[in-house]
Amino acid sequence: MKILIVEDDPVLRNELAVLLRGAGYEPLAAEDFTRTLDVMRESGADLILLDITLPGMSGEALLREFRRTSDTPVIMLTSRTSELDEVLAMSGGADDYIPKPYRPAVLLLRISAVLRRASGSSPAERYRDAEVSAVRGSVIRGERETILTKNEMIVFRTLLSRRGEIVSRDELMTALWDNDEYVNDNALSVNVSRLRAKLAQIGYPDAVATRKKQGYVLL
Amino acid sequence: MSAWDYLRDRLPSLLIRAGAHLLVLVFLLAFRVPSQAAAAAVLIPLFGAVSAELLEYRRRRRFYGRLRTNLDGLDRKYLLSETLPEPDFAEARILSEILCETGRSMCEETAACRRESADFREYIETWVHEIKLPLAAMELIRHNRGCGVCGEQLDRMEDCVENVLYYARSGSPEKDYLFTQTSLRRVFSDAALRHRAELLERGVSIRTEGLDVTVTTDAKWLAWILGQLLSNSMKYLSSEREPEIAVTAEDKGDRVILCFRDNGIGIPASDLPHIFDKSFTGKNGRTRPGATGMGLYVAKKLCGRLGHGMEAESAEGQYTEIRLSFGRDGWSEVLREKE
Repeated sequence: MKILIVEDDPVLRNELAVLLRGAGYEPLAAEDFTRTLDVMRESGADLILLDITLPGMSGEALLREFRRTSDTPVIMLTSRTSELDEVLAMSGGADDYIPKPYRPAVLLLRISAVLRRASGSSPAERYRDAEVSAVRGSVIRGERETILTKNEMIVFRTLLSRRGEIVSRDELMTALWDNDEYVNDNALSVNVSRLRAKLAQIGYPDAVATRKKQGYVLL
Repeated sequence: MSAWDYLRDRLPSLLIRAGAHLLVLVFLLAFRVPSQAAAAAVLIPLFGAVSAELLEYRRRRRFYGRLRTNLDGLDRKYLLSETLPEPDFAEARILSEILCETGRSMCEETAACRRESADFREYIETWVHEIKLPLAAMELIRHNRGCGVCGEQLDRMEDCVENVLYYARSGSPEKDYLFTQTSLRRVFSDAALRHRAELLERGVSIRTEGLDVTVTTDAKWLAWILGQLLSNSMKYLSSEREPEIAVTAEDKGDRVILCFRDNGIGIPASDLPHIFDKSFTGKNGRTRPGATGMGLYVAKKLCGRLGHGMEAESAEGQYTEIRLSFGRDGWSEVLREKE
C-alpha cells in the first residue's frame, strides 16, 4: 500500500515515513510544495496524509481541488484545532481527521480503518483456509468452529489486518481501548494466549508467534 | 432627590430671600403704606418665589430620578453616559457632558483591554498549535526509535499544552465550538486512550455502562473535560483498595446524565462546595502533589459554555462522583434529524 505524505515540516515528514515503513506501508513524500496538487494526482498512492497548513495553497483548498478528479482516501493532519477546519475538511471530502500531536498507534489504526473502508466491505475475511465471521464472532474452518470473545476478536482482526508483520502490544492495546475495552497488560496477555489456544483447536497451533520485546506476529 | 434634601440644599438662599422680604415689609410699614398694599407687595413675590422653587425642584427631581433608575437598570454601570436623560437645565448639561466624557474614556480603556486580551489569547492559540509540531515529531521519534522512557514526560507535556489551550478558550467570548451528535462511548474512549499509559501504570480498572447514547456537544471539548476528570481521579487514588473508575450514562428522556465515579479518597464535605472555584485546592490538594486548582474550574466553565450541567458528590474516604447533564431541547432534535 502506497501512502503519500504531504507535510511541510521536514522532521515530521521523515518520522512519518519511518513510522509507515515500519508498519509495512510504502511511504512517498511530497517535497515540492509549488506543485503539490500535481504531486498528489500523479503519485498513484492508495491513501494521502494531508497537512492542513501548507506553504502556498492550504490543505483544505488542495483537497477541494483534488476531489474534483480523484476519490483516493485522504486523512487530514493538523495542529489547528479550531472546528472550522474540521467542518471544511469533512465537507471537503476528507475521509478522516487527526489532530496533532497524534499517538502513532492511533494514527496507524485510523489509516488501516480508512483503507479498509475504501477497499469496500471486504467480503468475508479469511485466514489461511478458515473464514473469519465478525457477525458470528467466530473463526470457521470446514466443520470446525471456534467462538472468540469480543476482545479476542479485536486482537485477532488487528493481527490479521497486518498478517506477517510485527504488531506491538501498544497497538493491540490501542485497538482494544478504541473499542471500549479497557484492558490492562495482564488481560492482553491472557487474551492473546486464549486466542492461541482457540486457534490451536481448529488446527493452527503455531498461528500467533511472540517476538520478544516487540510484539506478536500472525503467521 | 427628596424634597427635604432639596430644601436643605437651598436653605441659605431661602433664608436670604426671606430676610429681604421681611426688610421690605418693615420698610413699607415705616413709610405708612396701607397694610393691605404692603401685604400684597410682600405676598405676591413670595408666591412667585415658592412657585419658582417648586418648578426647580420638579425639574431636578425628574432628571436625577431618571438618572438613578437608569443606573439601577444597568449591569455595567460605566455605560451610564449612554443612557443619559435629556438635560433641561444648566447643571444637568454640565453633568451630562462630564459623564459622557468619562464614559467614553472608560469605554476606550475597556475596549483596549479587551483587544489586548483577545490578542494574547490568539497568540496563545497560535503558540499551542506551533508547539504541537515538535511535540508530534517527538512522539513519532519516540515510537520509531523506541526511547520509551521519555514517553511519560512527553505525555505530561502534551497534557499541559492542551490545558493552556482550553483555559484560553474557556474565557474567550467567541464561539469556537461545534455542536454535533456525539457518541459518549466514542468521546470517553478517546479520553481514556489519551491517558492510557498513566491509567495502566496506576492499575486503574475502568468499567463503562450505557455509553451507547448520543448527546449534542462539542466532542473535543467534552473529551478534554473527561480527560480532566480522569487525571483528577488518578491524583486522588485511595491506597486501601483497587482503584476503579465507573463511567455510566443514563437516558432520562429530556436529558442524559453521565456519571463519572471513582473509589478514591473523596472530598471533605467542607471542601465540596468550593471544588469548582478558581485556584481552590482544598485539603486533598495540600497533602498531595500536582494540584493546581484549575482543572475543575476550567472544566466547569467549559461545561457552562456548552450548556451542560456539572455537579459533584462525594463521601470522604469512599468515592467522588461527578455528574454531567446534557439537555435534549428542540434544537438538538433538529440537529439529530439533520444528520
